[in-house]
Amino acid sequence: MLKLLGAAAVVFSCTLIGMTVASGYSRRPMEIRALLNALQMLETEVSYGATPLPEALALVAERCDPRIALLFNRASEELLTLRGITARESWETALKEFYPKSALNRSDRTILLELGNSLGVSDREDQLKHLALTREQLKLEQAKAEDDSQRNTKVYNYLGFLGGLTLVLIFI
Amino acid sequence: MSILRPMQVLDAEQTMLDEVLTLLPPSLRDILSNLPVAIKNSVEEIRVRQGRPLMLGLAQRDGYVSHQGAILDSEVGAYQVSATDIERVTQLVSRSSLYALEEELRNGFITLPGGHRVGITGKVLTEQGRVKNIKYISSFNFRISRAVLGAADRVLPYLIAPDGRFFHTVLVSPPRCGKTTLLRDLVRRLSSGVPELGFPGATVGVVDERSEIAGCYRGVPQREVGPRTDVLDACPKAAGMMMLLRSMGPTVIATDEIGRQEDIAALEEVINAGIKVLTTIHGSSLEELADRPALQYLFQIKAFQRFVILGRSRGVGTVEDIIDGQTLRSLGVKLC
Repeated sequence: MLKLLGAAAVVFSCTLIGMTVASGYSRRPMEIRALLNALQMLETEVSYGATPLPEALALVAERCDPRIALLFNRASEELLTLRGITARESWETALKEFYPKSALNRSDRTILLELGNSLGVSDREDQLKHLALTREQLKLEQAKAEDDSQRNTKVYNYLGFLGGLTLVLIFI
Repeated sequence: MSILRPMQVLDAEQTMLDEVLTLLPPSLRDILSNLPVAIKNSVEEIRVRQGRPLMLGLAQRDGYVSHQGAILDSEVGAYQVSATDIERVTQLVSRSSLYALEEELRNGFITLPGGHRVGITGKVLTEQGRVKNIKYISSFNFRISRAVLGAADRVLPYLIAPDGRFFHTVLVSPPRCGKTTLLRDLVRRLSSGVPELGFPGATVGVVDERSEIAGCYRGVPQREVGPRTDVLDACPKAAGMMMLLRSMGPTVIATDEIGRQEDIAALEEVINAGIKVLTTIHGSSLEELADRPALQYLFQIKAFQRFVILGRSRGVGTVEDIIDGQTLRSLGVKLC
């Protein structure tokens, strides 16, 4: 009886580990999609509203997917502190905080960092070009992320469960 | 926003420069906050030019600024403005939103919270012969706007008739002689009323094309302009005067730097509507003004009742003379 309970516990916890790893893979495409939407909103604020960047970022943070709101929120807060920092620096600070909590990978981060270099420093047309470029690059990453997610989500879910079973068999 | 503090009375001087300092990058801010207090109080301009020394425009002269925040007479040892400084200043004065300031860049200046102005030069982009934008910004001129409350006290008695009516008044002055400062204070006094001269408070409409009079930031006056004052910010003068005339029922319309033909036409209409006019003109004497084709007509019909001539002979804002518009004779005023 006790053996059976232990076996069940091992299978259960291995399955959970597998699912956690898998969820990392399925979260990334969702977050990228949310980022794409948010950047689209930013584009609208810049092109039609001509909203100043600190407010535009705050507006985007309010309306976008809560999972990525932190990035825009922090960037906006940093800009409003008036410590004499540039948009690039505040974007970098925000990204540094956001990245470890997100499911994004390094190439996603690089794309976002590059966007920081151009934020707010040029006229409207130029800003729109940079935002569009970032969205194009993120779309490519999104396709890859979805591929990865489809492949790996199932793999890790099964791997967790089956790994648990294997352990049980070995121990018994 | 935190920098939007209401105008303070008279400890103003210190805060005025500090307001601007918050918009400078730390490298420049540290230097300028080390300036001696006496200098801080007389700074009129901060000149930031890429690859050249940091300079200040003071009341009577200008000077280079050293790394320690001392005023130097020669370029040796002066702080050199770097490309990074310029980049940071650009971001800070635009609040990282150059794209939102295309209209301002076309005019060559940005108004800051507090009503200070930053003049900007660089490479100009044109489209079909019209200025489209400024790229590669390389020079800034921060003009510190000071509210001198009380600037109008000495001239007001000459501008209000014994029966308590305000005369149509023009302030005539070369640049940087305190024209806008006097105009702003006159607006404030007319708006709140001058009981000692029997003048009740009047509704004043201000057309502030260059955002200098009221120093509006997002439409809200940052300068003390009085309780009965409505401001049309960044509005072309001629159109603005008509708008005020129709919509706000002003008793006095105030505007800055009249000169173009359409301004004159609008002014005439305002005067015909029985509304008092308070305006300024670039120039140093009446004779000079009378030669300008656009103004000749107004002189002919003797539209203005008072001319206040400003100069710098005894410091900024010296009232050189006040002239009666009908007789073109001096009212015998030599004030200091």
